[in-house]
Amino acid sequence: MRWLSKTSNKIIMLLPTMVVYLVFIIMPVFVTIYYSLTKFTGIGETVFIGFKNYQNLFKDPVFFMALKNTCIVLVMTLLILLPLSFTLAVLLEHKFKGSELMKGMIFAPYVITPVIVGVIWIFILDPHIGILNAILRALHLDALALEWIGGIKMTAYSVSIVYIWQVLGFYTTIFIAGLRQISSDIHEASQIDGASKLQDIFFVTIPMLKETITIEIVLIITGAFKIFETVQQLTNGGPSHTSEVLVTYMYFTTFTSNRYGYGMAVATIAFLFSALCSVLYLKNASSQMTQGDSR
Amino acid sequence: MKNKTFISRFFVIVISFISIYPFLWMLLLSFKTDTQIMNAPFSLPEIWNFDNYKRALGVLKLPVMYKNTILLVATTQVIGLTITFLSSYCLARMQFKSEKLQKNLYVFLLIGLIIPSYLLLFPLYRIIVALNLQNTYLSLIMPLTGMAISFNTLIFVGFLRDFPAEIEEAAIMDGCNLRNLCTRIVIPIMKPAFATLIVFNVIYVWNEYPLSATLINDSKKMTISIGASLFKGSYGTDYSGMISAAVLIIVPQLIFYILLQKNIIEGMTAGAVKG
Repeated sequence: MRWLSKTSNKIIMLLPTMVVYLVFIIMPVFVTIYYSLTKFTGIGETVFIGFKNYQNLFKDPVFFMALKNTCIVLVMTLLILLPLSFTLAVLLEHKFKGSELMKGMIFAPYVITPVIVGVIWIFILDPHIGILNAILRALHLDALALEWIGGIKMTAYSVSIVYIWQVLGFYTTIFIAGLRQISSDIHEASQIDGASKLQDIFFVTIPMLKETITIEIVLIITGAFKIFETVQQLTNGGPSHTSEVLVTYMYFTTFTSNRYGYGMAVATIAFLFSALCSVLYLKNASSQMTQGDSR
Repeated sequence: MKNKTFISRFFVIVISFISIYPFLWMLLLSFKTDTQIMNAPFSLPEIWNFDNYKRALGVLKLPVMYKNTILLVATTQVIGLTITFLSSYCLARMQFKSEKLQKNLYVFLLIGLIIPSYLLLFPLYRIIVALNLQNTYLSLIMPLTGMAISFNTLIFVGFLRDFPAEIEEAAIMDGCNLRNLCTRIVIPIMKPAFATLIVFNVIYVWNEYPLSATLINDSKKMTISIGASLFKGSYGTDYSGMISAAVLIIVPQLIFYILLQKNIIEGMTAGAVKG
């Protein structure tokens, strides 16, 4: 390999990637941070105002609404998606008649254009034309026929359910891949020791899946902060911003009301929060892992 | 024991059904009239005809949208895979005077994995405006290529590291030059890595929405996701038209998915499993 490793070869091979990467990925991050420190409306001067946008952010009720909704989605996803995808993975790990078909069915929503996911669910969740309320009314459960989307209370929860539906197959597949890495000897050994199936899952499988679970949780955290298309299609943040999540609010402030500096502060904070949650979790997880090792 | 298996199978079947139920539901709705959709939610369509689809096609410029999306996907893939293959091969196989530099360049190229696209929307818009590229495909191709770099690097370099370099060494001994080495030997060996990346990136670019919506507003250049996002505006309260248009967009995706199911599931989860 030495003969071909001329500096000129290396430069030619690395240069295109580096240029595209620097101009379109790395530089924009700094541009975002720069604009988040300015006041800019698209016309006129860009005025440097320091951390004023961030200060205003923490006085902005809509921002807190968006943050709250994002957190609802995150918590709902952790509480429902994680156990559900794990259970499905355990049940689908070993092939049986139809298991491949079912895996395919569960994964299908993940390949569909996210914008269309929003459109489809309008026809299920909409309080007037949606099937969900029609079913509830037919069962004489009118009290439960809520404004799933477009009301004030339920949208964030509905968005969580739609999101879980969309990504369930993805997370299940990652768990299946993790499960297949555990050697069957270990399960056999625990069976010989008299462990029941459930004991095997709780005391053998889950501890051995720590790494997979860590990956899943970090993906769930970063994923929840990225939700955009579904909310935009279902309610577009409305009515009067009550169903806004961080990214839709960023999009609104930036591209609808042209407060570019403020919008970039929202984007930066959203990124920082998701990074912070991931890092805190990873730190916690790795300290737990080392504790486990020392025992 | 039998009973338990039954319950667990039943559970999986229920979840699978919930997963595809919305698709079946929209298929059924697409044959109903608006009055039926609103007033008789449980009724079956009275007449099974394709009126809704004809109306949907009248509003939706499906051929243009497909042409644009395919063009966009193909160009980003060719450019992205070529440049990242070259850089990954360089980083995985070439000898650097400073090994530290080599490692740092690799880590630097992976940073993109943690940068969410919403952070880049407005700056990219500014850069595109500054370069005077609004409403051109180039304005989407370059950023979308950029967004693929980190993941491509992860998969390519990972593959090359797991694969011994002996064959390549032997070819070089026999006097093979760099170009022939790449095209005749390395790329054929790396087919599985290419397949994974193509599946992953094609689906990503095909479905990409926020960036396209920000950079493209010329209806002649509209991609499939932008078209779909305008449903509410273009169909108003024509619900049956809207749902038929959604079916027209989803069915080709589902067919593609069914045909390549195994590769798609593998490709889309490869990053998470390897990372």
